[in-house]
Amino acid sequence: MIPISGLSPFARSAFADSNIPTGLPPSPLFGVQDFSTPMPRFDVLPRQPVSVLNPAPTAQANTTQQPVDPALGGGTGPIEGRPPGPIWAHQQFAQLPPVIAIQATMEGAKTNNVYNPTVPSLQNSGINPATPIPFQFHPGLPVQNVLKDWTYNGTIPPKLMVVRYGEPVLFRLRNKLPVNQNQNGGFGIHTISTHEHNGHHGAENDGFTGAFFFPNQFYDYHYPIVLAGRNSINTTATDARASGPTDAGGLNKIPGDWHETMSTHWFHDHMFSFTAQNVYKGMAGMFNIYSGLDRGAEDIVDGVNLRLPSGRASVSGKSWGNLDYDVNLMLADKAWDSTGQLAMDIFEFDGFLGDRMTVNLTFKPFMEVERRKYRFRILNGSVSRFFKIALSDGSPMIQIANDGNLLPHPVTLTQLDEQGIAERYDIVIDFSRYTVGQKIWMVNLAEHQDGKRVDKDLSIAEALSGNSPDPCVGKFLEFRIARNPAQPDISQVPSTLIPNPDLSAIPVARERIFEFNRGANQTTNDPVSSFFGPWGIETDNQRGTLAADFGRISAAPRFGTREIWTLKNGGGGWDHPIHIHFEECQTLARDGSAANVPAWERGRKDVWRLRPGGEVRITLQFRDFGGMFMEHCHNTMHEDNAMLLRWEIDDNGAPFLRPLPTPRPTPQGVTFVPPTEILPTAF
Amino acid sequence: MKTQVNSKTGRRRFSANVLTLLIGVVAVLALGNPSVQAQTTGTSTIDSSVTIATTGTVTEGTTTVAVNGSVTIKCRRVIDNTSTTLAPLVLLDFDFSQLQGTTGSGKTLKTYVTGDNHATALRPFQASDTIVVTVPYFDSATDGQQASSFLATAALNFDTSTGKLTSASLTYGTNVFKSSGVGTFTVN
Repeated sequence: MIPISGLSPFARSAFADSNIPTGLPPSPLFGVQDFSTPMPRFDVLPRQPVSVLNPAPTAQANTTQQPVDPALGGGTGPIEGRPPGPIWAHQQFAQLPPVIAIQATMEGAKTNNVYNPTVPSLQNSGINPATPIPFQFHPGLPVQNVLKDWTYNGTIPPKLMVVRYGEPVLFRLRNKLPVNQNQNGGFGIHTISTHEHNGHHGAENDGFTGAFFFPNQFYDYHYPIVLAGRNSINTTATDARASGPTDAGGLNKIPGDWHETMSTHWFHDHMFSFTAQNVYKGMAGMFNIYSGLDRGAEDIVDGVNLRLPSGRASVSGKSWGNLDYDVNLMLADKAWDSTGQLAMDIFEFDGFLGDRMTVNLTFKPFMEVERRKYRFRILNGSVSRFFKIALSDGSPMIQIANDGNLLPHPVTLTQLDEQGIAERYDIVIDFSRYTVGQKIWMVNLAEHQDGKRVDKDLSIAEALSGNSPDPCVGKFLEFRIARNPAQPDISQVPSTLIPNPDLSAIPVARERIFEFNRGANQTTNDPVSSFFGPWGIETDNQRGTLAADFGRISAAPRFGTREIWTLKNGGGGWDHPIHIHFEECQTLARDGSAANVPAWERGRKDVWRLRPGGEVRITLQFRDFGGMFMEHCHNTMHEDNAMLLRWEIDDNGAPFLRPLPTPRPTPQGVTFVPPTEILPTAF
Repeated sequence: MKTQVNSKTGRRRFSANVLTLLIGVVAVLALGNPSVQAQTTGTSTIDSSVTIATTGTVTEGTTTVAVNGSVTIKCRRVIDNTSTTLAPLVLLDFDFSQLQGTTGSGKTLKTYVTGDNHATALRPFQASDTIVVTVPYFDSATDGQQASSFLATAALNFDTSTGKLTSASLTYGTNVFKSSGVGTFTVN
């Protein structure tokens, strides 16, 4: 009970003098001023040939034995933590062999000596990438302790994976965290599982919450980067819109439905009942997928390329993936203790809030921009906080994507909708309306009192007044109009982006209802797969609200079918951003009516804010791959305590079993056990 | 916090049930806090809406734009039945899609539209509330990339007994944030 300076893990912190339940006094700023340091662009992970990987990747998990540290029980165990055998083998590994290797480690905070933003310093607010970057939220704040922050490669800025359709990737993550699980800086756990949110691939690569691995092991994630429907639509790869960009400026046509093209993903830890702590510690990055439609080169005119703001191939020499005017923003509220070290109240089960805003893990930075259009890929990387974004002068922004998906049509807005945890909003801001020397700010209008939900959406004037008791309300990112662009802005925002797939001819195999409630029952008692908390999910109005157990099968849709799922918020006192893994969904209705679905949600999505007392009705397909996936609240304090369920596709032919056995990882190897429970309506 | 010990870290050495029981017992003994409680009927919602015919004038640079049309305001009051301490809230949706603007006499007539713009807001439920939002508008001959914005100030009145939105008025004005929301810096 010491951490919250109180007696009850369910009580608001005794220090809660700002109503923000960080569990600590207000995070000290050590004299640091707002907007006094540049915002670093993401650090792009190197793309290498697969031949650099040692050992070479294998379809089934590599079970070569190695000594296990005595702190982990000693003996020997496999070098790869992926569950062994055919069920967890990389699906379609022979058909889609990895071409690109991306490697990373998970380790404690250290100085970054190899920062690679892939843009010139001029496009990175003057940051010299050759200058070492200590792990600090601001140059005026203390350097972080190695146990307090755990990130990909142990460094900041956060990492970006750059991939393209038609080029399968092998992501090898090595766990270099302390073998002693008590060496965690007070929060977080050294067993990890990385979810590529929201990749369309086999469950063995999905970061399943129960497929975690231990220090000194690695896990190979195979990201085939394919279009959904690849086995049933455009199977001969004749449609140029279904494509990836080639280095020569052309198109690599691939099978699948071009309407399923995705753009902005992220990746993060998904360790069972520790996602909040591990992601808060820094286990989050972003993942840009490039396609023929969205290739990241605004000057290539081929009749397919949408030419969204990015950069010119003719200037950079890169025919795709230009980031000059295509900017990843990861928003996250943090808190730190009196010594400036990252801190967290792990007992705030309603939701944990920080009291300091960071962008790309930098406290309230500035960004220099040119007088032209920019694309911003905005990720809410918080634990429990929602945002609502406007510009300080009320100027319009154009929303072009929601979650991973370009919208059917761009939407012009002066304030974005609330943005829940894990939601991504891609927007375009045209800075040509300003003059050189002007500055404007990105402003957060969503005021919290606690982690349950937004307490109030403010007007711009209210948010700028400085009167909010929530220190994360108001300005959080300063744009400085630094210069005119060297070349005219030829980027475009077409009136049509990516229309939705037409599902009308696909019969609905069945409907399911999931209700997200407080007050869960625990019907299982597995020491590894079950965890009890105040939150839970009721499935199909049966068995009541159940706490999480990744050994329980709550739903098992048939391979090759389409279903309709209704997601209901069982309470009015909180909001839940609900995430469904694996395939993008279309929103059919909100609160019973299609008319209630706003224009910016009429594309595909993978996270839905249910809104207090609200519900959404969505439709999704189950195809191309199989295995066990998840559905959960992405208020990760809710997810961990214990608003998460497992669903699976287990009739995709051999080697699948029906039902699937549950993995049980140990440092000495992964064993399998039967499901702890199968809900009557699962199959 | 420096001495914080993560009780979850050690949970595999304990039964999850035991840990939970311990936490629950401490919670009950300490405060008897009602935040963990048996589930009851979750939510009560009341939906209502009003549609208002409105007119106004907005100045954009040297151009004066007359704005008129109808605005529909949808309201959902939400009460959480699982708690006696949580205040009711309202979810609001302002539909500005039927607003149009025209420039004044003496100028080439242009039509301005607000596209399919909606503004949404979550607010505490109270008898009356004033909400200021910005609304994008643009020349229909171009597109949303050339949009500007004006202010809409909504005065809303609710029936506290029924939870319904009973009346509303809207006024439009020039976007004052355009000047106040912009600063300057010295270019190096």
